[in-house]
Amino acid sequence: MKLECSVEKIKNAISQVERITGKNLTLPVLSSVLLITSGKSLKLRSTNLSLGVEIEIPAKIEKEGVLAISGSALNATFSNIFQNENVFLEDKDGNLLIKTKKSQIKLKSQPHEDFPTIPIVAGASFEIESKKLIEGIKSVHYSSSVSDIKPEISSVFIYTNGDSLVFVSTDSFRLAEKKVKTKGLEEIPGILIPFKNISEILKIFGELQGNVKVCFNKNQISFSSDNVYLTSRIIDGVFPDYRQIIPKDSLTDVVVLKQDLLNALKLSNVFSDKFNQVNLLIKPKEKVFELSSANNDIGENKTYLDAVINGEAIELSFNYKYLLDCFQSLTTDSISIKLSGTSKPIIITSVSDSSFTYLIMPINR
Amino acid sequence: MNTKQLWKNCLMEIETGISKANFSTWFKNTSIIKEDTGIIYIGVPNEFVRDWLMNKYHKLITKTIADAYENMRAVEYTIIKIENSKQETTIINETVDKELPLKDLYINPEDNLNPRYHFNSFIVGTFNELAYAAAQAIIESPGTKYNPFFIYGGTGLGKTHLIQAVGNSIKNKYPDKKVHYMTLERFATDFVNSLQNNKANSFKEKYRRYDLLIIDDIQFIGKMEKIQEELFHTFNTFHENNKQIIFSSDKHPNYIPELADRLKSRFAAGMIVDISEPEYESRLAILKVKLREVNIDLDQEIIEYVAGAVQGNIRELEGSLNLIVCQYRLKNKPLSLPEVKNLLKNNMRPKKNMAIKDVVKIVSEYYKLEESSVYEKTRKKEIVKARQVVMYLLREDFNVSYPLIGQKLGGKDHTTVIHSCLKIKKDLKNDPGLLQELEQMRIMFK
Repeated sequence: MKLECSVEKIKNAISQVERITGKNLTLPVLSSVLLITSGKSLKLRSTNLSLGVEIEIPAKIEKEGVLAISGSALNATFSNIFQNENVFLEDKDGNLLIKTKKSQIKLKSQPHEDFPTIPIVAGASFEIESKKLIEGIKSVHYSSSVSDIKPEISSVFIYTNGDSLVFVSTDSFRLAEKKVKTKGLEEIPGILIPFKNISEILKIFGELQGNVKVCFNKNQISFSSDNVYLTSRIIDGVFPDYRQIIPKDSLTDVVVLKQDLLNALKLSNVFSDKFNQVNLLIKPKEKVFELSSANNDIGENKTYLDAVINGEAIELSFNYKYLLDCFQSLTTDSISIKLSGTSKPIIITSVSDSSFTYLIMPINR
Repeated sequence: MNTKQLWKNCLMEIETGISKANFSTWFKNTSIIKEDTGIIYIGVPNEFVRDWLMNKYHKLITKTIADAYENMRAVEYTIIKIENSKQETTIINETVDKELPLKDLYINPEDNLNPRYHFNSFIVGTFNELAYAAAQAIIESPGTKYNPFFIYGGTGLGKTHLIQAVGNSIKNKYPDKKVHYMTLERFATDFVNSLQNNKANSFKEKYRRYDLLIIDDIQFIGKMEKIQEELFHTFNTFHENNKQIIFSSDKHPNYIPELADRLKSRFAAGMIVDISEPEYESRLAILKVKLREVNIDLDQEIIEYVAGAVQGNIRELEGSLNLIVCQYRLKNKPLSLPEVKNLLKNNMRPKKNMAIKDVVKIVSEYYKLEESSVYEKTRKKEIVKARQVVMYLLREDFNVSYPLIGQKLGGKDHTTVIHSCLKIKKDLKNDPGLLQELEQMRIMFK
């Protein structure tokens, strides 16, 4: 192998593929990044057997070849090369020689014969703007369960509904749903992408412009753009039928300013107990929207917010952290809160945007 | 065709052909799901594995299966779900139903006997056959043959089981006979209470109306002079009236410290038998009986391992078995030998390993000698004996070589050591006192 490429591009690619090299696995070669030359480009590949990624960068190839280099060493090396010129890579006696104008580096390689292939997903496919995909995932992924006990909810659920792509995640205490309108969708019955892989997908496609081709079958899903190919395992399971727990009608409707509520919650945070409990009291007649929290060791607080209130009086408690989480996904200044009783979920949406819905289960005392 | 077995065989074959890292990465969680007209369907956990098996190992897998199963035509790979969570929940449900039963705590207040102890579950081996035969003779004609019946042996060897079983059998055979079982401690408390309440007479009356009296753990009587006297009188009454009396102890009566001579000779008048530690075959038999009681089948291999590994007393054997049974029920599948080994590694007594110096120390302490005197060149009789005992113990119990023993004990020739060992061996045959001394020293080694 002998080639020349831009430092900037290879640096970027390495930092992304290195993140998903297999750590702590039985097969040592998985901790390495595989460099493959192909025609006019260099491919960098890594996998942890749950997720596989391949990034292609343009390069001037003089001699073809394949090398497996420890991912962490490669990344550490390139993050400390600051010249903005081209870099020369060469395979010599099983080592990788990296040459720039001012430095010369030799990295040991590992036998690459055992490095696995990345599955190429064959199945239904559609294209979607990468921005929309990322928006959909970003809006809901924080709600998924962190524990491995129930794999079906420690994931992001994706399905199609008409011309919308719907992203859902829940940890059974709260639930986030985001609908993204897309043209030319392929019917998706429901795909569960593991939560752990979601964050990598976000990082790799987060800054990408243009379209992403999504390809899926029963076991595997892949995302590919011009120079990135990523494939993830799909969880074999059934996502809970969440639509039936969303109350159809509400008893109390409130509209508040997002910033007001955010400030009030931040204050409540100081006084909340170990369950992060905040009490909400709504009295439509007196036009009272009150948030309060109390802690035996610290003290207590009450905040009154200006709000438009319709419906019945209600009092309930909830975990304020769950509410704080959803603020990142609410795009408008004012938000709507719908309540249907002390034991029914609280529904939060943006006032003029129905694409995002958030549910919080109240704390039963 | 047993697909499970087939795949197991194939995996063993494959394992030898590829590196360990590769094997555990790619062949973990695989199985043969089904076989359909010669097509073998192999279940794999995900697409990465499927791709890699197809690309890299397809030839190897096909060949291995074909060798083991001639009807094979093709191999297909299918992704299957690994059933983790489901299994866990079912296990929890079952353990609730099959909790280990609490031991039967029912004890008859009339006679203090525990009905759980009977001869059906009593294993007879060479280690206890004499005791068993004597017990049977007593049941045949209580009070006439071996009176008193004195049984001794180490802890957890089945003394209590045997004497309670005698009590239960006699109760069944002669329903009108009054049987009473008690520990010496109970006898002592009763006696002290009766003295406090000035009811010494009713105490005597109470015990003397029984037809069969069983007293457990009599070795503690040593320092209780008054109680020895009371027991002596009680004993005499029983003996005169041809009523059976049974004692158990962990020592021979001659070695119960400060035991009054008159009691000693009375104990000796009847039958004194000992129960030693069960040998391998008996341990095996005991394990099998216990397994039948809990209705569980274990591999012969495992039973043999446990019998071999857990030496010594039966109680520990039972404890180890309970541990295995408990795990068995928890996991709801038979345990493999390595699992059992792992389970028992904490239960095993550590192998005795002592420095020569420590042995010398214990022995010299036992004979109340200066530790240093053992190493000296002297022919004082008591020192010579201690030194010989040290040599004997080192050789017999710790397998130290003759020359090394000699060298460590003041530069003696190895022939001197051999002589010493032979001498002690010979003395042991003629002098039960010496045997007892050795036993007590051995206890201190533990």
